[in-house]
Amino acid sequence: MKRFVGMWLVIGAVLVGLVGLFAAFYALAALGARAAVALGVPGFFGSSIVNAITLMAVTLMTVAALLTVAERKWSAAMQDRIGANRILVLGKFPLGGVPYLLADALKMLTKESIYPAARSKFLFELAPVLAFSPTFALFAVVPVGPEVRALGQTVGMWVANPDAGLLWIFALAGLSVYGTTLAGWASNSRVGMLGAVRASAQMISYEVSLGLSLVGVMIAYKTVNLQQMAIAQGAEVLGPVPALGLLLQPLGFLVFFTSSFAETKRAPFDLPEGESEIVGYFLEYSGMKFGLLFLAEFVEVVILGAVTAAVFLGGWHPIFFEGWLKANLDPLLFGAVCAASFLAKVILLTWLQLVIRWLLPRFRYDQIQGLCWKLLLPGAILNVFVTGAAVLVDPSLQTLAWIGVAEIVAIFGITLAVSKPKAAHGGHDHGDAHGHAAHAAGH
Amino acid sequence: MPYQIDNRPADARESLYFPEIFRAIGLVVKTFWRNAFFSRDANPDILERDRSMNRVTTLQYPEEKAPYPAGYRGLHRLVPRPDGSPRCVACYMCATACPAQCIYIEAAEVEGDPIEKYPKQFVIDELRCVVCGFCVEACPKDAIRMDTGEHPAPTYAREGQIYDVKRLLRGPPVSYEKDPWLVRPSRLTEAALKADRAAARPFGTQGQDEYSQTPGFSVRELAAEARARGEAGK
Repeated sequence: MKRFVGMWLVIGAVLVGLVGLFAAFYALAALGARAAVALGVPGFFGSSIVNAITLMAVTLMTVAALLTVAERKWSAAMQDRIGANRILVLGKFPLGGVPYLLADALKMLTKESIYPAARSKFLFELAPVLAFSPTFALFAVVPVGPEVRALGQTVGMWVANPDAGLLWIFALAGLSVYGTTLAGWASNSRVGMLGAVRASAQMISYEVSLGLSLVGVMIAYKTVNLQQMAIAQGAEVLGPVPALGLLLQPLGFLVFFTSSFAETKRAPFDLPEGESEIVGYFLEYSGMKFGLLFLAEFVEVVILGAVTAAVFLGGWHPIFFEGWLKANLDPLLFGAVCAASFLAKVILLTWLQLVIRWLLPRFRYDQIQGLCWKLLLPGAILNVFVTGAAVLVDPSLQTLAWIGVAEIVAIFGITLAVSKPKAAHGGHDHGDAHGHAAHAAGH
Repeated sequence: MPYQIDNRPADARESLYFPEIFRAIGLVVKTFWRNAFFSRDANPDILERDRSMNRVTTLQYPEEKAPYPAGYRGLHRLVPRPDGSPRCVACYMCATACPAQCIYIEAAEVEGDPIEKYPKQFVIDELRCVVCGFCVEACPKDAIRMDTGEHPAPTYAREGQIYDVKRLLRGPPVSYEKDPWLVRPSRLTEAALKADRAAARPFGTQGQDEYSQTPGFSVRELAAEARARGEAGK
C-alpha cells in the first residue's frame, strides 16, 4: 500500500514538475524573444533559439536517455522481475535505477573505439551522425505548447513552425535510412551489410504506408502544419467531445503507429539488428559511435510518441477542464499546463511502445513485408478514400467523427469477440483431425 | 499430455492480427500495473510469498537469503566455553578424522593445570575442506560445530580462506555438567566455576541433529545390533 501511494505521489510530482519546468521554458523563450527584439530582429528568432536548447537539447535528450533506464525497469515490471537496482546512492537508495543513466553514459564515453581495418574511413565516421541527426531534427517542428503572451512577447513552445510541418517529418524520416545503410556498408562486414539491407528495405516499405496514413489527417484538418493541426483538434465536434485525431482517424492512427514503429527498428520490427542471428548494421561500431546509433533509436521512440501525440491525441490540449484552465490561469501558466500535458502524452505513448516492444516476438521477414503491403497499405488507402468522401459530404467533420466512432466500436467488438475454445468431440482428448474422424465415423 | 496445442489455421479474426495484439497489450498492462504499483513481498521463503498483487519472485540475494534446511553443514566454528576460551582440548581427533587434512592444530599446556591442553593454534583451510562434517562427528568435547548456517565468505586472496582460532571461535558458549574442567580441580576461580556449573546442562543422550531424528534410523540401535553380533560371534 505504501508503494501504491508512493507511485501516485511520484507521478503527481512528475506532472507538477513538468508544469514548473515548462513555465520556466516559456519565461526563457520570452526573454529570448525580448533579446531578439532588442537586437532589431523578429522576436521568434530569439525564442526559437532558446527553444532549440530547452526542448531539443534538454527535454528530448533527457527523455530519450531516461528511456534507457525505463526500458530496464518497465520491462522488469512486465516480466515479474525487479530490474536494475544495484547502484545505491549513499549506499541506500536505488532511486528507481536512474543512476544507471550516468553509469551507461560513462561507459559509452570511455570505452575503446575499435575500427575494422577494411572500413570506408570517412563514411564509417559519418554514418552514426547521419543516423542520429535527422531523427533529432524531427523534433524541431513538433508543437509542444500553445502560443501564449508572456513578459510582453508572444511566444510558442516550438523550435520551428513551417507550413510544411508534416512534409518535413516525411523528408527527415526518409533521410535517416542513409545512416543505417551507410553504417552497414562502411564497416565492410557481410553481416553488417545484411543488416543494412534489411533496414533499408524495411524502412522504405513502411514509409509508403506511413505517408498514406497521414493523408487522412491532412484531409480532415485541411493543413499540414502541425501547430494548426493541434489547434484544430481543440474544436468541439460531437457535443463536448473535441475533434481528436484518434476520434476522426482511428484506422489512420493504427496504420501510422505501426508504420512508425517499424521505422524505429525496434522489436517486433528489429530485423535489421536481429540479435540472435545477425547483430545488425552497427555490428562493427563500439564506444560512443555505437552509443550514438543506440541513442538514435531511443530518440526515434520519443519522436514517434511526440508526432503521434501532436497529430492524433490532441497535441498540447489538456482535453479535460481546458476551458476552465484557460479562463482561470495566467496565460504563461496555462501554456505550461498545456505543454506538460503534451509531454505526459508523449511519455504515455513511449510507455505503450515499450509495452509492445516487450510483448511481441520478432516478425519473420516475409511477415514484416506482408504486414506492410497486404494489411497496412490497403488500410491506409481505404482510410484516405473514406475520409475524403466523408469530408466532401460534410465539411463540418461530424460524419467523419461518427465514422470514427463506428470504427472504434468495431475494433473493440472484434477484439472482445474471442471465439470460445471448441468443445472436444465426444469428450475425447484427441487432436483435431482425429476428433473429426471419430465424429464422422459416429455418423 | 500436459498441453493441448490446437494447431488449426488462424480464423478470420486472428488473421487480422490486431485484435489479438490488443488483448495481449491488456494482459501486459495488467502485469505492469500489479508489479509497478504494489509492493513486493520480500519473504525469503519464495513459495510462502503473497503474490496476489505483486508477482515478483526474485530473491535479492545478498540482502535476502533463502533459509537453509536444518542440519545444513555450514562454516565451522570453535565452540567457546562461558569464559570465552575454546572448548577444544587439542586432542587431534578432528585432524585425524579429516579426509582432506585441512585442520592444523598446535597444542599447548594450560598454565597451572597438570592435565589440560588447549589449541595454541587451530587452523582450518576452507579451500581444502570438503565439508564432510567428520570433524564434528569425531570431536569428543563438542568443541567444533558446523551450525553457523553460512559458507566461507568469498575473498580475493587464498590466504583469506585460512581460518585461525580468532576467526573460528565464535557463537554461543556451551557448557556440560560432566565437562572435566568443571568437575575436577581447575585453574578457574571459585566464582567462575560456580557460574559455569550453573549454566551447564546435561550431555544429551539423544542426538539433536536431523540425522539422528530420522524415523527408523538410530545409530544407537545399529551399535547395539553390532554389539550383539560381536557377542554372538565370541
